[in-house]
Amino acid sequence: MDCEQIQTKIESYLDGELTLSDRRDFECHVSVCTGCSHKLESMRTIQKMIRNTGYSNTPSALKRNIQNQLRDYTGEEAKNSGWLRWVGFGGGAMAAGSLATWVMMTFLFITPLQTKITDEIISSHVRSLMVDHVTDVKSSDQHTVKPWFNGRLDYSPPVKNIDKAGFELLGGRLDYLQGKVTAALVNKRRAHIINTFISKNNHSEINTEPKLIQRQGYNLLFWKKNGLDYWVISDLNQKELTEFTFLISKP
Amino acid sequence: MLTRKDRQRFEKLTLPHLGAAYNLALWLVRDASEAEDIVQTAYLRAFEAFGNFTGTNSGAWIMTIVRNTAFNLLNKQKRNSNLVSFDEVSHINDQKYKNTYDLTPEEMINLASSNIQVAELIDRLPIDYREAVFLREIEGYSYKEISEITQVPKGTVMSRLSRARGQLQKLVLEQQKKEQARGL
Repeated sequence: MDCEQIQTKIESYLDGELTLSDRRDFECHVSVCTGCSHKLESMRTIQKMIRNTGYSNTPSALKRNIQNQLRDYTGEEAKNSGWLRWVGFGGGAMAAGSLATWVMMTFLFITPLQTKITDEIISSHVRSLMVDHVTDVKSSDQHTVKPWFNGRLDYSPPVKNIDKAGFELLGGRLDYLQGKVTAALVNKRRAHIINTFISKNNHSEINTEPKLIQRQGYNLLFWKKNGLDYWVISDLNQKELTEFTFLISKP
Repeated sequence: MLTRKDRQRFEKLTLPHLGAAYNLALWLVRDASEAEDIVQTAYLRAFEAFGNFTGTNSGAWIMTIVRNTAFNLLNKQKRNSNLVSFDEVSHINDQKYKNTYDLTPEEMINLASSNIQVAELIDRLPIDYREAVFLREIEGYSYKEISEITQVPKGTVMSRLSRARGQLQKLVLEQQKKEQARGL
């Protein structure tokens, strides 16, 4: 093989794709040809650089979400998720330890895109309080609020009545997030307003567990369910907001 | 109808590849949250099709479904916006970096001594190239396997890899020059 032929085989050589006899010829040639040997080394360098980029860690919630989704498909009960563990079935006490782990875990998950969305959610929340435009439809009855969205959106946001648990429904309004018209539901706990933004996503099969994010003194929870993205935001404390999220997200 | 036993067998075969699946999605879409969604969708699709899976290479099988899911999503997004198509991007870049091997001796030395991190530079490659590079360099698949996963001829895989590496060499050298000029 001459230099030109050798040089077309450098990558096949490095990728382990040469036949044994070609491999032998190749090695024979580069051992005596400085030009080809340098080109081989240059290619080897770039290959090493690429390999050094390595792996990004897989979010630990991903595996659990997949497993729960598969169980859902076969009609099995969901794996006892971290989510249920923290909140307890009645929305009761959370173990401080698991809450801490959870918070830390979710902090690692914030992507630049999520940061952008989070900023938008916070502005929307603040704006709704400032201009006293919390609701377009004022009602504590979910059977009034839910139909109000008909025709205003091409999806139907679920509206639950959880007054008894101390989260009074104030009503709903239309908001604008990520360039899309979005449903916003408003609840109240003592003096704290809770906004829940619900918008349609492209992944109808995907359900995720809520992630907690803390920013600018607000607590936010984000999850996906049945083709909808949910964002809950409030200045309410983490524990009660988590309870709220549990109540509106459970089936 | 898939049963609990099927699910267990499926998990045993496919969950070991979860890291690879997530990283492939991440290399393709470059957004962690999107990548998670893609992998979750892909695993559900794979499970739905599990009855038809007769092969032995479960890794390559799940990779195929992940990349198809990612490309479907990207195509959907592309239809909804005015992005330049990926083919166009590849084409422009191909013109610019035709000669993979034409490094000067000085450039070769610079390359060898470079400590540039290529992760960000890889992001600048066309998506088809990133895919081939990931499957080859990070996952170690053979040309034949990559050709099956990406559903293109083996020759296309080879030329994508070659162009990708050639472009990266150039990008590393450009980056190095920039950093030297800034006195880093």
